[in-house]
Amino acid sequence: MIKSFIKIAWRNIEASPLFSSINVLGLTLSLAIATLLFLFIHHENSFNQSLSNKDNIYRVLTEAKDYNDKIYASAAAMVAPTAIEEIPEVTDAVRFLKHGFGEPAYINTEFSEFIESSLYYADPSLFKIFDLELQQGLVNEALVKPNTAIISKSTAERYFGTDNVLGKTFKIDDEITVEITGVFSDLPTNITLDANVYISFATSFFSKRPTWSNVSLETYFLTAENTKQSMLKAKLGEMLEKNVQEDGRWYSLDVQPLNKVHLYSTHLSNAYSSKKGSIEQVKSLSWLALLILVIACINYMNLTTARSQKRSKEVGVSKTLGASTQNLITRFYAETGLITAISIVLGVLLALVFLPVFNNIAGKNIPNSMLWSLPFISSLLGVWMVSTLLAGSYPAIYLSNLSAKKILNGGKIGSRWSVNLRKSLVVLQFTASTMLIVGVYVIYNQLKFIQEKDLGFDKEQLMAISINGISSDNNVDLLRQKLSTLTTVESVGTAQGFPGKTVSGRMIQNPILDDGGMAVQTNRSDAKAIETMGMRFIAGKNLPLVKSEGDSLIEVVVNKKIVEYLGLTPEEAIGKKIQMLPGDNEYIVGVVDDFNYASLREPIGGYAFHNLATERKEYLIVKLRVTDLGTEINQVESNFKSIVPNVPFDYSFLDNNIEKLYLEEKQTATIGMLFSILAVFVACLGLFGLAAFTAEQRDKEISIRKVLGASVSGIVKLLSVDFIKLVLVALLIAFPLAYFVMNDWLQDFAYRVAISWHPFVFTAFAAIAVSILTVSFQAIKAAIANPVESLKTE
Amino acid sequence: MVNKLLSLNEATRTVNSGSNKVTLLDNINLQVNEGEFISLMGPSGSGKSTLLNCIGMLDSFTGGGYTFLGEPVHSMKEKNRSKLYKEYIGFVFQAYHLIDELTVWENIETPLLYKSVKSSERKGLVADMLDRFNIVGKKDLFPMQLSGGQQQLVGIARALIGKPKLILADEPTGNLNSKQSTEIMELFSDLNKEGVTIIQATHSEKNASYGSRIVNLLDGKIVEE
Repeated sequence: MIKSFIKIAWRNIEASPLFSSINVLGLTLSLAIATLLFLFIHHENSFNQSLSNKDNIYRVLTEAKDYNDKIYASAAAMVAPTAIEEIPEVTDAVRFLKHGFGEPAYINTEFSEFIESSLYYADPSLFKIFDLELQQGLVNEALVKPNTAIISKSTAERYFGTDNVLGKTFKIDDEITVEITGVFSDLPTNITLDANVYISFATSFFSKRPTWSNVSLETYFLTAENTKQSMLKAKLGEMLEKNVQEDGRWYSLDVQPLNKVHLYSTHLSNAYSSKKGSIEQVKSLSWLALLILVIACINYMNLTTARSQKRSKEVGVSKTLGASTQNLITRFYAETGLITAISIVLGVLLALVFLPVFNNIAGKNIPNSMLWSLPFISSLLGVWMVSTLLAGSYPAIYLSNLSAKKILNGGKIGSRWSVNLRKSLVVLQFTASTMLIVGVYVIYNQLKFIQEKDLGFDKEQLMAISINGISSDNNVDLLRQKLSTLTTVESVGTAQGFPGKTVSGRMIQNPILDDGGMAVQTNRSDAKAIETMGMRFIAGKNLPLVKSEGDSLIEVVVNKKIVEYLGLTPEEAIGKKIQMLPGDNEYIVGVVDDFNYASLREPIGGYAFHNLATERKEYLIVKLRVTDLGTEINQVESNFKSIVPNVPFDYSFLDNNIEKLYLEEKQTATIGMLFSILAVFVACLGLFGLAAFTAEQRDKEISIRKVLGASVSGIVKLLSVDFIKLVLVALLIAFPLAYFVMNDWLQDFAYRVAISWHPFVFTAFAAIAVSILTVSFQAIKAAIANPVESLKTE
Repeated sequence: MVNKLLSLNEATRTVNSGSNKVTLLDNINLQVNEGEFISLMGPSGSGKSTLLNCIGMLDSFTGGGYTFLGEPVHSMKEKNRSKLYKEYIGFVFQAYHLIDELTVWENIETPLLYKSVKSSERKGLVADMLDRFNIVGKKDLFPMQLSGGQQQLVGIARALIGKPKLILADEPTGNLNSKQSTEIMELFSDLNKEGVTIIQATHSEKNASYGSRIVNLLDGKIVEE
């Protein structure tokens, strides 16, 4: 019997190509989107799941008691070895240190130089804990001796043009030379580890002088089966108490199970991997996928029931021939199943075609192969079944329960109830899609606001050139002088960091308040750098231009926030002694206006520039006079190369850097916008179906009206008005909802736009225009039809 | 010996139209024996179609008794009722009501599908039927490709395929010209001679004359037999 059902279903599809293609198109598009989103979600959820020890790996977290309760995803060097020794549940541990605490490394091979942003120092237990295998080299010997490295296959090819690199050497930062003792296959995309190069931990200075105070090592424990997180935390606390004096215990320890590492780490500092997921993003995209599927299913229902007048005859006849309601329900489900199956296949193919584009937008690296993975295929089957059940429910139950007698006697089917249901479905669809439009509009507004907001300094044409690879201070000075003579360069300075980049966290004390101080960011820089970045002085002066050898005085330029914390006016603050840096000789010389040194999500806090020689000055800050950016960069580069030919030229622009802070929002907005447009399109297909249905239902009425003298425009109006009403109702529901949701989203930003009437007017206008266009197509078709035709068929 | 096929005992059908109760069928008493060929006559709105629908169990009486092959239809569950008409009743409609998406062969086959007849058996039965009605050459055509008379032939073939005891025909020639009408009526006559009981609703005296008995309806009542 199923065969016969499918046969009828197929002939129905063939018999009305327009309807069928609209239906399949709507479902295909939605399923393609849903497939992409599911792939994304699946990929995010699959992180680290392939590891054989996944249930017994924990990452150590360090919770600072001060510094705004920051939590670090890293720990001190002593934690791992001590824990192995003192906590029986910890069977093994591996420590990772990213080169330069996250700064890129400069690699020199025999022939060429490279910038390597994924270079780690790691313990040899890495192999056991993270299932890492070597294609070449011996696991037992790799990463044991100092100055040895293992590198990934693609990195080997990048450096040496071949993966046959055992025994070859390269230089890091012009300082140490390491020998390659192993080659591993490139790490899978869905594992948190992202290294291209691992250097033996024994090479790192932490191996020679492990401490309890510097918490820069990402540390993973391998534990015995069934070890509880709370128990581990308690034992770590005891361990800390036993081994660290109270005044050195500025933090407490906790652990994070591996399955939380990928998605639940956005609040952590110092997580080294470039692959960071966000459960928020996964959640919002899951909702989007669900919403789009629901819109598609509603669409299917609307389009199918739109043809119910025609189909109902078949139902009536089948019933008189002995078909039971059960038979008919099966039938309609078979038909829906066929269409959704076709759509899923097409949708998956479409998704496959657009996966690279999606990867690009989402900033992910989801491999094609994920499409063929068993869990994904089974979830697709699930989607197929659910959408078939959902989309098929209305036609199946509604049409199958029609009374045969009523249909065959030519009675109009479609009770008030079913008409209302269909209308509600359209309202629901439009509510969902207009909410999407408003949401995307607001996100864009906020991103634009961020881009255009006065950050309190001059971010345009500001270039930061990394000088980490230059080991000689003389060369840095030489380079600075040479660049400042260029006509295209306005000014040059050196600094530890710049806005958009985290610098050092310290505390400043207010002697009057006994509150433990305020967390501040300190940036070691020279006067030129402050000037180059365009900081706005509101009192005092800049740091001294030159600082003589042996001068123990420390000058500090602070921002307004610090002065406010100290309870002074900017003018009063000048010359005041403060307690912030090591030593006892620091004075405020200048106050600059507040500026946004971090993402606009965070309110501005204390920020200070100083000239104490604690941190390295890692960047040249260069202000360009813009005429032709391309040649200017080349000019700067050639000057750079003339002084330090072996150091790679690594630069960035401050405004680009700042933009990167909002990458996730930008990705979500772009994905959201793309898919919202498609959702609106699909919703319009549904409206089209409903319009066609009404035109069909009111066929006779329209003909009679025409015979009685109604004009075409009158009839178009008659048919369109009802739909516009539905869209208006949807807007009324969507707007307050969208307002609340988006307002909530904006709360994440310390600096944000107010939601104005613009997105609402725009959305209302767009929705109404698009729906008029859709409906009038059907209405005009009905209105210009020859009335005799439809009257005759009765 | 003559077997009783069905009997109606003071069968009534009313509907509510707004606040008014409208009586469509009023205390109908009718006995039908196997092998009869009954013509229901009467003007439009006299209740012919309603009576046919009720007998055919597409609709039900609201009062009185209906016994079919000794079983009380009026007190039967929907499921058993459906089983009963699936087994014993075939319908022929004025507007043919063939399924447009199916070929002639498939249309005739459909009732067998709902009776869960095996594929090989279905093939034989449908082939016999096509043969008998001389429409073998048309088996792969769709209803739209046939003339009205041919469509009605398919409709009758479809009604007969399940070997029903009773055929209910609601103005079976209403959409046909006189030549086609004659052919169809002669076919009914032949079927009746083979033992199939037929009840037809008709306006035409000529068609009624093919039957063995005429029942006249007026305003939902049997006025004359």
